[in-house]
Amino acid sequence: MNMERKNWIRALTAHPATVLNALADQLTADCDVKLKSLPQAGLGLLTLTDGAFHEPYYLGEFPLSSCSIELALSDGRRAAGGAQVMADDAELARSLAILDAVLAARFPGWERVSAHIESGALSRTGEDRRRRAMLAATRVDFAMLNNAGDDDDEG
Amino acid sequence: MSYVAIKGGGRAIAGAAAVTEFLRTEEGLGNTCTEPPEPLKIDAILHQLRHLVDRVISEGGVYHPKFAALAVKQSLGDTLEAAFALRAWRSTRPRLSATPPLDTSRMRLIRRISSAFKEIPGGQMLGPTPDYALRLLRLDLMDESPEAFRAIAREWLETCPDAQLPDSFPKVLDALRAEDLLPPVSATRQQAAFDITREPLVFPVPRSAALATMARAETGSLLGIAYSNMRGYGDVHPTVAELRVGYLPVTLPHPVTGEFTEAGEVLITECEVVAMYEAEGGGKPVFTVGYGACFGHNEVKAISMAILDRALQKGMKDGPANPSEDPEFVLLHVDGVDSMGFASHYKMPHYVTFQSDLDRLRTTQQKSGEPA
Repeated sequence: MNMERKNWIRALTAHPATVLNALADQLTADCDVKLKSLPQAGLGLLTLTDGAFHEPYYLGEFPLSSCSIELALSDGRRAAGGAQVMADDAELARSLAILDAVLAARFPGWERVSAHIESGALSRTGEDRRRRAMLAATRVDFAMLNNAGDDDDEG
Repeated sequence: MSYVAIKGGGRAIAGAAAVTEFLRTEEGLGNTCTEPPEPLKIDAILHQLRHLVDRVISEGGVYHPKFAALAVKQSLGDTLEAAFALRAWRSTRPRLSATPPLDTSRMRLIRRISSAFKEIPGGQMLGPTPDYALRLLRLDLMDESPEAFRAIAREWLETCPDAQLPDSFPKVLDALRAEDLLPPVSATRQQAAFDITREPLVFPVPRSAALATMARAETGSLLGIAYSNMRGYGDVHPTVAELRVGYLPVTLPHPVTGEFTEAGEVLITECEVVAMYEAEGGGKPVFTVGYGACFGHNEVKAISMAILDRALQKGMKDGPANPSEDPEFVLLHVDGVDSMGFASHYKMPHYVTFQSDLDRLRTTQQKSGEPA
């Protein structure tokens, strides 16, 4: 698995929150979890650049949860992790922050996080493929009336 | 106008809620159907009534599809009430963060068309649309079997092409701008955007306030005022340079590395129109442009917003020549929750004000010699 850290959240959130919470609980059974910022659920404000004049404006809000943690192993090793995720679920943000730290620092169990990222990425790839298929199946090339042939002609 | 507090009616109000709940669940008595009745599942609303959900997300101003579907369910499909419930929920949540200005050219598209050009870079793709369908009732859906329902999606997936397409597509407006056919990008594009959820609209307002207000406006209100412009009370005459629907990655800084990380994605509709050209300050003439976007898949809303953006630009520059060019008229009358609230408040007891109206009418009639 050589996916960049910035893409881990998208891959992991292809799994249900219950799966990620359970994994985070299992991986932290033997280490201390110190909260650097409390798990919070609230809203994020979505800023867009308008296409006409490239001015920023606010399109609206979205549910956002965030958390930062530090893991400490009994041998003294420490690892920082964090997550901001589009969800109204502070516990999920905490779990994602833990998984982020475990994988970034190659803490015990990182292979399981990596496997979840790989399977999640596969699921996201399937989603992207379905969306591309919607485009491909409806590609259109309207012909002018005075031109012979159009994209519905066979051969 | 004066108001007076009333009391009483508690039992009737509770009874009204119970009656409404009875109507929602009346199907459960089994008198009207042959199948065992089931409550509407949130997932069913999310998928099978997706345009309804999208409308509530957009007018509620919060991208929360599940809660929008729940709001649709509890309001029995009333979009104004559903948007109100979603706004009420958002008012209880703390604001944690704001994204940097996101670039919609990164959208993962499911639809992309242009009425300006037959051929656009990357091509046109109709995606999911009823645009070219006959508006006839599909009677086969009256009694759709679960087996047939499940088979449709499965068969489409089995036969759909494995497409070699890019993840994102260039914008038509960028091509026009590169040919010097559009006005330059804004000199104020580095300024902070106006937050309509924290600041009141005190006119004149910046364009970012107008865009944000219209983005969460009620679809019918926007359409009505935009339509007045199209039909003759205005002069926009737009051409849709590009209309796109797709999923925009929402990026925020990673709490540890600071690198921009995808936190999720939102489905949005975006429309860019070009309209009658003009020469600014005696310079070279260029097309004027308008922009519209909203949460969810709602093309009529995005097109209406783009037309009104262009109309409001003209009104702000030259003074309004018709209602759709007047920022105060447009922006103060398109919010669904505001306008529905005002209309609905007339149902509340106005006994004192009406008594006063009666008294004045009787007095006026007596003074004018009419029989009381």
